[in-house]
Amino acid sequence: MSTSLLNVEDLKVRFKTEDGIVPSVNGVTFHVDKGETVAIVGESGCGKSITSLSILDLIPSPGEIHHGRIDFNGTDLQAIKKKQLRKLRGNEISMIFQEPMTSLNPVFTIGNQISESIRLHQRLGKKKALMKSIEMLDRVGIPDAEAVVRRFPHQLSGGMRQRVMIAMALACNPKLLIADEPTTALDVTIQAQILELIKQLKTDFDTGVILITHDLGVVAEVADRVVVMYAGEVVEEAPVEELFANPKHPYTLGLLSSVPKAEHVVDELGTIEGNVPNPADMPEGCKFHPRCPFATDKCRNEHPELEQFDSNHKKRCFYDVEKGGVA
Amino acid sequence: MKFLLRQILRIIPVLFIISLIVFLLVRVTGDPISLMLPETATEQDKAELRQSLGLNEPLYVQYFTYLGDLVTGDFGESFRYNQPALSIVLERLPASLELAFFSMIIAIIISIPLGVLSAIKRNSFIDLFITGGAVLGKAMPNFWLGIMLILLFAVQFNVLPVSGTGSIYHLILPAITLGTAIAAEMTRLIRSSMLEILSQEYIRTARSKGLIEAIVVNKHALRNALIPVVTIMALQTATLIGGTLITETVFSWPGMGQLLIQAVNLRDMAVVQAATFVIAILVIGSNLLADLTYRYLDPRIKYD
Repeated sequence: MSTSLLNVEDLKVRFKTEDGIVPSVNGVTFHVDKGETVAIVGESGCGKSITSLSILDLIPSPGEIHHGRIDFNGTDLQAIKKKQLRKLRGNEISMIFQEPMTSLNPVFTIGNQISESIRLHQRLGKKKALMKSIEMLDRVGIPDAEAVVRRFPHQLSGGMRQRVMIAMALACNPKLLIADEPTTALDVTIQAQILELIKQLKTDFDTGVILITHDLGVVAEVADRVVVMYAGEVVEEAPVEELFANPKHPYTLGLLSSVPKAEHVVDELGTIEGNVPNPADMPEGCKFHPRCPFATDKCRNEHPELEQFDSNHKKRCFYDVEKGGVA
Repeated sequence: MKFLLRQILRIIPVLFIISLIVFLLVRVTGDPISLMLPETATEQDKAELRQSLGLNEPLYVQYFTYLGDLVTGDFGESFRYNQPALSIVLERLPASLELAFFSMIIAIIISIPLGVLSAIKRNSFIDLFITGGAVLGKAMPNFWLGIMLILLFAVQFNVLPVSGTGSIYHLILPAITLGTAIAAEMTRLIRSSMLEILSQEYIRTARSKGLIEAIVVNKHALRNALIPVVTIMALQTATLIGGTLITETVFSWPGMGQLLIQAVNLRDMAVVQAATFVIAILVIGSNLLADLTYRYLDPRIKYD
């Protein structure tokens, strides 16, 4: 994997709480190549956001990375000093977050907030940084950018704010963009525009993208490869067409059957029974077995490994699952 | 500018109501005549004085006379000092304002750094020390702290004057006395406000940009955290202007608190009315200042 931009290996994150240590991410491994979009998919609470936050060491306290390795462009991010990591943040690796309403500081102008990182990382003066901010806003499709830099976040709509976030994130030409549910809080039409924007900018800037989402529609739209997470683990990984055509993990199967499709009118959408298990009280064996329609005694007692069964397809399941059941 | 004009226009009915309340309160708390005359005075003496002060008129006539005088800035004459009441009050005003201002400055200087530090070092030894100190600061009675400060700095080390006014040195001990209690309350408020702001998503955004922690805290968090603090500051300033009687007494500070209490005890109605009125205007003024500060700190606030 010499071309990999980002390599996450056996990442483990835990939270030290008053009730004891709660594991949140349990040995996650994945990689992102240059200019590639990798989607991390899973239900709320499966550890996908924590995984993405740990790349830049932004996990909220009392969380901590206690095992694993994160390599970015050949640098071990956990071995470098805080100062060096700060140089990467917002410069080589940028993030955009789910809530454009709350991700921008309400008391500073848009221009101030975008030029802040430009001034920091590119050492430009105030005026030049503001010019660059206007240029970036233009680039992400904000009309009348020169007026917008003087506005405050509350004066913009949600879609506009997310564009501002994207402009801010891309201002320093990052090599990797981490987008944590970037369209979840937006209207469907705005959602499509934002996704289109991310796709286009990715090509323009040749940026690698990690897209965190629970929305498989979004995945199909923009991702090259998909990592499916469940209860802090990767349960399946495959290129996007392969995953949609040939899902191998019962959880992926469940996720896919809960997506409404226009061409098949069905009475009822598929659901996955039950909930994501509480991290403090993980089931024995395969973590998905309490919700799995195909679970056997083996699943209840043994924990499956993530196995590569095809050149580009990995799964964490003992069985070959097809639509009809266990083969 | 339009906002300021509207606010000032709003003050007029408030002042009107205050004048009515002050007027009634002074009159329902007892007969001033009996205090103004010696015990040996006859009923006729009393009746004459009442007549000459206009106190035998119906209440509403008295009120309108009073209101008419107010408009011309005439609060009547203090029968104790035989001087216009307003000039007595205005004479005391600078000392009160001076003390209030410096106490507030001290409170701000103490509380902002400590509150911020306490929040960013949450649950550490430093935090425990600061929040513990804040509880102590709030719990200490003013007069006790004042006396302790006098004993330490004026008597023991002899570096500051015991009491009175005249120089910046006279101001230090009373301002510390008053500032400590306010600082204690503000520190706790700033701490909790900072803690809330630090968990906001835009703080994570700021960190994800690669900013150093000092900028994240001092630029992105503090400005947001100060918004609720401004309210408390305005309220405290109002209290400082009007009622710092105990501290004024301990340090023989010639402020309005002392004047007002004396006037109430002597039923010196004119002075009570004038002092209350001036204090009311200052309180309104400090609230207006708080409103303006809000608008500066938080662009989301726009009054229509």
